[in-house]
Amino acid sequence: MKTQGKGSLLACCLAAALGLYLAASPAGAADKVVKIGNVEPLSGPSASVGVQGKQAREMAVEEINAAGGIKSLGGAKLELVYADSKSDPTVGVTETERLINTEKVNLMTGCWNSAVTYPATQVAERYGIPFVVPVAVRDTITERGFKNVFRVAAKDSWWVRDQFRFLKDMQEETGTKLKTIAFVFENGDWGTGFAEKWRELAKKDGYQIVLDEPYPSTATDLTPVVTKLKSANPDVVMLVSNAADAILLTNTMAEMQVKPKVVLASGGGHADPKFLENTGDTAYGIFDEVEWNTDVNKPGAKETNAKFKKKYGYDLTGESVDAYAAMYVIADALERAGSTDPAKIREALAATNLTSGPAMIVSYDGVEFDKDGQNKNAGIVIVQVAKVDGKPERVTVWPKAARRAGYTPVFPANK
Amino acid sequence: MTAVIQATLNGIMMGAMYGLTALGLTLIFGVMKVVNFAHGSLLMVGMFSAYWLIKLTGIHPYLALLIVPPILYFFGYYLQDLVIKPVFRAERQVREPLTVIIVTTGVWYVLDNLALMLFGAEYRTVRTAISNKSFALGSFIVSIPKFSGFVIAVATAVGLALFMRKTKIGMALRATSLDREAANLMGIDQYKVYNIAFGLGTAIAGIAGCVLIPFYYVYPSVGVVFDIRAFIIVVLGGLGSIPGALLGGLVIGLIESVFSQFMASTWTEAIIYAIFLIILFVKPSGFFGNKQDW
Repeated sequence: MKTQGKGSLLACCLAAALGLYLAASPAGAADKVVKIGNVEPLSGPSASVGVQGKQAREMAVEEINAAGGIKSLGGAKLELVYADSKSDPTVGVTETERLINTEKVNLMTGCWNSAVTYPATQVAERYGIPFVVPVAVRDTITERGFKNVFRVAAKDSWWVRDQFRFLKDMQEETGTKLKTIAFVFENGDWGTGFAEKWRELAKKDGYQIVLDEPYPSTATDLTPVVTKLKSANPDVVMLVSNAADAILLTNTMAEMQVKPKVVLASGGGHADPKFLENTGDTAYGIFDEVEWNTDVNKPGAKETNAKFKKKYGYDLTGESVDAYAAMYVIADALERAGSTDPAKIREALAATNLTSGPAMIVSYDGVEFDKDGQNKNAGIVIVQVAKVDGKPERVTVWPKAARRAGYTPVFPANK
Repeated sequence: MTAVIQATLNGIMMGAMYGLTALGLTLIFGVMKVVNFAHGSLLMVGMFSAYWLIKLTGIHPYLALLIVPPILYFFGYYLQDLVIKPVFRAERQVREPLTVIIVTTGVWYVLDNLALMLFGAEYRTVRTAISNKSFALGSFIVSIPKFSGFVIAVATAVGLALFMRKTKIGMALRATSLDREAANLMGIDQYKVYNIAFGLGTAIAGIAGCVLIPFYYVYPSVGVVFDIRAFIIVVLGGLGSIPGALLGGLVIGLIESVFSQFMASTWTEAIIYAIFLIILFVKPSGFFGNKQDW
């Protein structure tokens, strides 16, 4: 009896071990999985956007896998492997190395911060691993002649280009004439970079620059800046602001009764979900430039946003939509490559011409990379803060094709 | 010219409020000879108290002035009594106790991170009856929240100065400030005086919180922005001097507002620090400072 008990216990153990082995082996047979390495800021100052990007990727990959994975690879599933960059370029580089060498990922995505993406893509280029950049706007990321870097989002200089296109289009549409322009921007890398390009384009479009004012983002009082703005009395005010200063500027402008015909912001602080909460009715009429808006007039956008909001509790943002779309860009390339070989994936990515499918909730019309890997079609939308159902809401107004049905932009916002 | 006068008006109003944020710091230093690094955090606590009170009850922001400062007084009183005093006792032989400064730094981090945990990092403002309201003074625009902030700041400084001169507690505070040993021998309970000084300093941070909240936003590390300014103001006006804090605040406010009409506002920051350095070289005791504090 006793020995028999021991024997059956042993048999049990063996059976359990075998069972475990059997259960584990399908996943171990690696060729059914495509590993995507993702370097994102999951902690530190940009953690919130990093997490937004992560959740958007997860939702896209779930959808792709649920729809049968990559069919040309026998229904291979996508698997996301994450690494935290902490917004630190050095960490981003080591994590990229680790994902490529230790995790053996088939391709990479990331990294949101331009400062991290720039060196991380360099690592991937060296190993010949394709690197899809959903967002990271610094121009030079796709201007180094790299073969393996593909950016879905628009680059920095296009933001400024589109701001002036918007002004031009709207003046034509409404028959308004705008002559004088003022630049007010935070004095960091971002603001000064924008201002440089503004000066160039304003000159080209024949505006008269009446104020060119950098300010420190940490200022306790922006009334001096607004006072200057009041005496300069421009038709257009262009802004680059971080979160706190966007609120302070908007409220101070209302207080000092500064009412330029057009106020055009550049995302950032003005696009922060907290901005409207903190400004209330002082923000009406402001135009802001963003990658995406919840009301963008594209098929599927509303449904995808509703699904995302239900799952994670907040709206999709420009960043997360680009991350979401990037997963479909990757799936499309894998489907055409029919291989997990990085070189084959690269060829397929380079030949991308995606104009339909779930990825097309983006504000632009398609994904097609130029020889440097920049999506030629990437664009930006301009929204206006308007009163909808008694509450301030961001309404898409430009480009005209993406404009919310039935909305007429208030342009100029002040007479 | 209009812009300069407008900027001067604004500079005076903001300056008085900067002075108010520095008043508690200078009071605590004057009495305790301790640089209170937690001062900015106490201001943050004051701002959050005013924020929640107004947000939840919807009362007029200046009614909060009757509620927030007393609460903050007890907060400061017991903070000193329970956290700072024990360290102070251990270091009682030293004129400017360094460990106490380190403790206040600890209090700063604890308070800031506690607020971060409780309320998150986001910026918050509350719409009040006077937010974004202004009145015209000839061709100039005067912001109502800033104007009342100016009045309250000056009233607080005058009130505090009178309190220090006319009342018994005020005299005890001044006596301890001059010579804590001698005050002790005269029967003044040194630690009780410190509790009161810290309580008063914190209550003033509460007043500043109520004054700022109608036009400024609050977030857990908002204190840091005002703190740096408060330190400069205190040194400029003279450590421990009440009129000095107000004057120092006005100087900073005016430089910031008027100078930026003639140059990029980024520059005024540099000018403020340059003036700060010059004062340290030329008159290290500040406008009204006590020489023996150096």
